[in-house]
Amino acid sequence: MSPTNPIEIFKQEAQELLAQLEATLLDLDCTPDDPDLIDAAFRALHTIKGSGAMFGFEAAAAFTHHVETVFDQIRQGKARLTRDLIAVALRARDHMRLLIERPEKADPAAEEALLAALHDSLSPGEAVPVVPCEAAGERVWRVSMRLPRDAMINGTNPLLLVDELRSLGESIVTPVTDTIPRLQEIDPSACYMAWEITLKTSKPRSEIEDVFIFVRDEMELEIALAETSCEDAQGKPDAQEPTPSGPAEETLSEREPPEAPAPQGEADAHATPAEQQRVRRETTKNHASIRVPADRLDELMDRVGELVITQSRLKQIAASSSDQQVRAVAEEIERLALELRDTTMGIRMVPIGSLFGRFRRVVHDLSRDLGKEVELIMEGEETELDKTVVEQLNDPLVHLIRNSIDHGIEKPADRIASGKAPAGQITLSARHAGTEVHITIIDDGRGLNRDRIRARAIERGLISADGALSDAELFQVVFLPGFSTVSEVTNLSGRGVGMDVVKRTIEALRGRIELSSMPNRGAKVTLRLPLTLAIIDGLLVRVGDARYVLPLAAIEECVELPADDKGGSRGCSFLNIRGELVPFLRLRELFAAKTPPDRYQKVVVVAAGDLKAGLVVDQVIGNHQTVIKSLSKLHAGIEMFSGATILGDGAVALILDIPHLVQFGQIAEEQLRAAA
Amino acid sequence: MSNWDHIQSSASAAGALKVLSLSLDGQLFAIDAGCVREILDLIPVTEVPASSPFASGLINVRGKVVPLADLRHKLGMTKRSPTIDTRIVVIEVDLDGDLTTVGIIADKVHEVTDIPQSGIEATPRIGLAWPPEFIRCLGKRSGDFLIVLDITRIFSGEQSRQDPSSFQAVDRNCC
Amino acid sequence: MPKTILAVDDSASMRQMIKLTLRNAGYDVIEAADGQEGLSQARRAKIHMILTDLNMPVMDGMVFIRELRKSPAYTGIPIVFVTTESDAEKKSQAKAAGATAWITKPFQPEQLVAVAKKVLGE
Repeated sequence: MSPTNPIEIFKQEAQELLAQLEATLLDLDCTPDDPDLIDAAFRALHTIKGSGAMFGFEAAAAFTHHVETVFDQIRQGKARLTRDLIAVALRARDHMRLLIERPEKADPAAEEALLAALHDSLSPGEAVPVVPCEAAGERVWRVSMRLPRDAMINGTNPLLLVDELRSLGESIVTPVTDTIPRLQEIDPSACYMAWEITLKTSKPRSEIEDVFIFVRDEMELEIALAETSCEDAQGKPDAQEPTPSGPAEETLSEREPPEAPAPQGEADAHATPAEQQRVRRETTKNHASIRVPADRLDELMDRVGELVITQSRLKQIAASSSDQQVRAVAEEIERLALELRDTTMGIRMVPIGSLFGRFRRVVHDLSRDLGKEVELIMEGEETELDKTVVEQLNDPLVHLIRNSIDHGIEKPADRIASGKAPAGQITLSARHAGTEVHITIIDDGRGLNRDRIRARAIERGLISADGALSDAELFQVVFLPGFSTVSEVTNLSGRGVGMDVVKRTIEALRGRIELSSMPNRGAKVTLRLPLTLAIIDGLLVRVGDARYVLPLAAIEECVELPADDKGGSRGCSFLNIRGELVPFLRLRELFAAKTPPDRYQKVVVVAAGDLKAGLVVDQVIGNHQTVIKSLSKLHAGIEMFSGATILGDGAVALILDIPHLVQFGQIAEEQLRAAA
Repeated sequence: MSNWDHIQSSASAAGALKVLSLSLDGQLFAIDAGCVREILDLIPVTEVPASSPFASGLINVRGKVVPLADLRHKLGMTKRSPTIDTRIVVIEVDLDGDLTTVGIIADKVHEVTDIPQSGIEATPRIGLAWPPEFIRCLGKRSGDFLIVLDITRIFSGEQSRQDPSSFQAVDRNCC
Repeated sequence: MPKTILAVDDSASMRQMIKLTLRNAGYDVIEAADGQEGLSQARRAKIHMILTDLNMPVMDGMVFIRELRKSPAYTGIPIVFVTTESDAEKKSQAKAAGATAWITKPFQPEQLVAVAKKVLGE
């Protein structure tokens, strides 16, 4: 159930606002003068402060208030936003997050430092948020205020009123305590205090009155001029200044303050371009999504899976029925089940852009820390993957990016010396390829140093000194545990995430990782991950007396094996398909089929990445909606199979792992060539 | 199967061991009744190529894909053809930290019974025809000795690795 | 018949808190996340009182109450601002636009109930 406790809701809200704030700050890093972004940052801070105070997060609210003040200054044009200030603001944002989510971990010394840094970063001379006193036209007022006993119960905060008065100018505040009863008689929710305030301000009387505009009817209020304006009075007579009224009465008619039109205009201008853009972003967010607990989605997926299986049984039964109506309804149910499947599948898929977005901060912080300039380019952010996979990719990708910046990209001076642009580029891209998703990280730095890697590998006993290795093989050594040294696992890489852990994480997702490089031009990391869909379009085939499923997305075509082919003669393991030689695997042999082979064997040509292979089967049965069930640990290690499914007649069929089989075919081909 | 739940939940006397007795290759064995979920008649089994002979099949248990294991393989016994008495006992076993549903083949299933504490004896280190590490204890009940198997131990370390014999298929292919 | 209060605030946690507090006190509560939604809600149901934030996306509190007051059904309805701001200028604007009362955040839940009672004349 989504939380009903407002505090929990606040925490979620705060998380979203803080994420938005980070993105806004990073955008501001590129365009520090954009008023819409500054405004967006201010509003996020304002909301966090306000709600935080409401729900008991006083420390967070108090700290946020400082940051908010700085941004208020900036948006009023009284301070300039520099990249340094943005960096401090990002750290302040992190601190705010800590104060809300884990206040016990917040370090007061760090907080002090941040606050100091915030003030220092403001352009000199504008640190004081108070409106400088204008000498001309100032007058001294005496304000006497007493609120009714039940004022605080009714939601009025007397201190805020006093503060408002003080913000109008220099003031001396004297509390009046004559009506405070003895301790035993005090009702803590009652207001016993009154105040006498001497206020020096150039503001008109109406503004003083406005402070009390909503409580005026219930309180005692006297506003009187104490003395006339200062010596150098140039006497700018303000049209609406009333003559000093007697102490007892105030003519507080409810006139429309002439200032109203101006601020009103401001408010309207606010509502147009500046607001609208941000608003569009926010509204699409507000109206386009709802929160759902992840396990509820899993349940939904399971139900849909069962529906698909049962529906395929219905299809079989209906196919052999002569009742036209039954067949028509079965067809309709099939159509509905497929649509439901597609919609439900779509729910768990998230675009990888949500992950890529987080890296902007990483790149920003790291490049600053290391004194490098890095531009992050992202492609294919709309490429969708299962939510759980995306979450597991976070750590490995962060590590790989850190590596690129730390070891790949050179310092600006070095880059210029090599004839490159001073800012390095890191390109993150993702795309679908058959049954896989390919994610690449490309940098234009100095590339992998073949010799150094080789030397270190030999030194660590990972390869023999005289072995000849291709680049691809050599680079795989980087992923072996024991390759990383203390100097590799720097403070930046921290958390013990080494390249070996990266590889293990990717392999746990049934994926593969490769490195390639061009000296001085850059390096490329390629991740290949299987799409972990729960329900796929499958092709059902028969090998011997057993049935298997192949993912349709990986299939290029089906052809017949030439009848004159006698299985097993050397040189016959290739097919010539329109001029291309495609290796093939006889699944009958691979799966040790015992029944006699069908006279005409079929070859299902599959692809994984750029590689192809033909899989020889006895019979191609047809399409099948395949609900993927994962294999237990007893069978999960068998790489030929990526899972199992239940067919319409209740039998279990194994699902073939295409990338593995294709690779297998390549190895077989190479062995053949070596033997030839 | 509600019958089954009822039997399982009937309380044992303190210290007694509740077991399900079954026959493998004519020999009487027993397994902890607490891990048994249900007992099925023989149903179609899908063979998994390149799997270990211990767990070479998959079955469909109410829409769930469940591996089928043959304890006889681990106990060094010969495989028998199924008869009308053959049953599949569906159990839950700890596989390397994960609670997994697995089916085991039994030539015949007898009953759930309590072995009193007094009837439990330690496994003799020698003299048994079967690997002692897979036997939890011996149970004496109405004159018979039941060999109580240690299911967790039998299944531990059984993570699948690709069976190397599968690569020989490639050689044959290349003649 | 319980009276209906419309709570307009872009913060979901604020809305939830207001809703729980006022429901406990015997009122019906409708929510809206911004002024525009607030106007739609006001047109759909009979409302006795409005609580609104000042700073909201799409349509802020000031514009909201000005628009609302144009409608004959709502010229007299009590409208209370609930906001972190305590700026005299804004207050006078609000009053000019037709606000009845002003509560500054943070506030105690009891204060909310007291204001509601007072403003609804109970």
